[in-house]
Amino acid sequence: MQYNLTFSMLLTAPYLGWIADGVLTTLHLALLSWSVALLLGLAVGIARVSSNRALRLFGTFYVELFRNVPLLVQLFLWFYVVPEFLPSETARWWNRLDEVPYWTAVIGIAFYTSSRLAEQIRAALGAIPKGQFEAALSTGLTKLQMYRHVIIPYAGRIMIPAITSEFLTVFKNTALALTISVVEISATARKIEAWSFKGIEAYTVASATYMLTTLAVILVMTMLERRLAIPGLIRWGS
Amino acid sequence: MDWQVVLNNSSLLARGLTTSLELTLFAIAASLPVGCLLAIGRLSKQRWLSLFCASFVNVMRSNPLVLVLFWLIFLVPLIIGHRVPNLAAVSVAFVVFFSVYFSEIVRSGIQSVGRMQISAGLSTGLTRGQTMRHIVLPQAVRAMLPALTTQCIVVFQGSTVAYVVGYDELLHSSSMIAERTGRPVELYIATAAIYFLVSLAGSLLARRFETKRSRA
Amino acid sequence: MTAPIIQVRDVVLRYGDFTALDRVSLDVFEGEVIVVCGPSGSGKSTLLRCLNGLETFQEGEVIVDGENVATCRNLPALRRRIGMVFQHFELYPHMTVLQNLTLAPIKAQGLPRAEAERLAMDYLTRVGIADQAGKYPGLLSGGQQQRAAIARALTLQPRLMLFDEPTSALDPEMIFEVLQVMKNLAVLGMTMVVVTHEMGFAQEVADRVVFMDRGAVIETAPSAEFFASPKTPRARAFLKRILRIG
Repeated sequence: MQYNLTFSMLLTAPYLGWIADGVLTTLHLALLSWSVALLLGLAVGIARVSSNRALRLFGTFYVELFRNVPLLVQLFLWFYVVPEFLPSETARWWNRLDEVPYWTAVIGIAFYTSSRLAEQIRAALGAIPKGQFEAALSTGLTKLQMYRHVIIPYAGRIMIPAITSEFLTVFKNTALALTISVVEISATARKIEAWSFKGIEAYTVASATYMLTTLAVILVMTMLERRLAIPGLIRWGS
Repeated sequence: MDWQVVLNNSSLLARGLTTSLELTLFAIAASLPVGCLLAIGRLSKQRWLSLFCASFVNVMRSNPLVLVLFWLIFLVPLIIGHRVPNLAAVSVAFVVFFSVYFSEIVRSGIQSVGRMQISAGLSTGLTRGQTMRHIVLPQAVRAMLPALTTQCIVVFQGSTVAYVVGYDELLHSSSMIAERTGRPVELYIATAAIYFLVSLAGSLLARRFETKRSRA
Repeated sequence: MTAPIIQVRDVVLRYGDFTALDRVSLDVFEGEVIVVCGPSGSGKSTLLRCLNGLETFQEGEVIVDGENVATCRNLPALRRRIGMVFQHFELYPHMTVLQNLTLAPIKAQGLPRAEAERLAMDYLTRVGIADQAGKYPGLLSGGQQQRAAIARALTLQPRLMLFDEPTSALDPEMIFEVLQVMKNLAVLGMTMVVVTHEMGFAQEVADRVVFMDRGAVIETAPSAEFFASPKTPRARAFLKRILRIG
């Protein structure tokens, strides 16, 4: 095996700029899709436990649809299929956007992830004793106030580990966006390899990006979990 | 829309699905034993062994499958000196990648069996191995079953990633047909439907395991 | 005599085939303490939960403080006038005791925070745990948690209080402190409906006892009368069993 490692090459133009762009794209793509997914997932998760039959049915349909089609296929659907069904005005506006692949990736990853988050949220809501809902209602809170002040803060704390691991999944899933030509860090690494044949260096940078971010996220979330731990409450599921 | 194009190419799609399923089954069949070894290694009292397994698992878990695939496609020819067919690279990448996830499931399954169960086994005069075989593992397997089924669906959905290196699974076949016929709308909808049905069948199976278990 | 503060008329509640409440009627007057007792599964808790609309019934009507519960447009407003105490306390574990007490007054009643906190501290003092205000519920003993839960209901300054087996989840040595708080409340003239197995409390504090079995009210009698000579055989059998054990 003949191979000269020259990591210093990565610090020269144009590679350094590419890497910076790739890392940033991965990070904000992950954060943005995850935030959207969290909001969607919260709404769908609550719909799944709602007392309204139609809402529950909608929630089930949504979750099954979005989690049983592979993310890569969903990205293709959003990229190649959905624009064909838009009214011509909207389609024109969409196609004129600067970063169509990027926004497609945000939408695709967000919907896919939201179905998984919805299930986590449903499980967390199910883990909250029924009496908590009744106690909140019995003090005259409206349903909305009950969710906002009692149930969601409670469920949120139970869910921190699940939400963390879901974020890390999203973070890794952003790599699939390279199939619709979003140049995030994995695509960047491949591009550098193609230009310079320095595959080990290029892929090391990409792997390091994922590993360091993962480590940082885990550290922050563990701290958060400890700070937000509910005193005296037995930890759920452990 | 013209669904005729899907019907005309149904044999190609069927071949694609077969390839996807073969890749999935191979990946599961090979990853599960490797995953078991990794899990046992992690729970081992040998510090270096458990440390090694833990590092391997954590490194793999923080990388996306696509990147693992890129790594192998670049590294394998470099190490063995000549190019390898896509099938080999994809297979190795899937096993390396998914065995880690299986190992985590096996590990939490073993740990879900209470320590008192081991004490109880030992107290009745069973050896450590017998206790593991007759008491811990049967309970662990039952506890793992839902997660294992779910993971198999993840592997199936993950098989689409092989598309990236042009491996001829369902998504790749479908995209080739889409390109040739100029009808991506019909083909991608049909492909999504196929993936949906197979995954849904899998999740229904997983749910059956779960309800069986909660009733037990 | 003024109109009763609670009027329950022929209420029927079914879960599928199972009849949980079978034409139940009950009047409660202001200042009265009613103890509802009966074997488990007799519908006592279900009846209680109909009074503040946590349970929906199919037939009959419930009028509380002048409002029809089933058709009430603004249940939250009605519920603020009805305090409820649960078997398992149901304090919110992620909030301090004080936050537990002030949440509804601030969010639902719109009281200023300072006012709500003053009120909350006042009630915490009355139930004897003012020193626990800043702690999280999980760190309190069961008796302290239940007293905090009672204070949470009182902070809304309700017209009446519902107690759903408030001592059933407590260790024996903590039952006393909770019953003491409830007795004080009764002495101050609070209208109370209490589902409980504490026959000592019923004898000492209740004005009337309601005995339920299999979803129906079997007997309603002034407390002294009920314990001295229950009219129905079922009530007699129940009392015999519970007093021998207790």
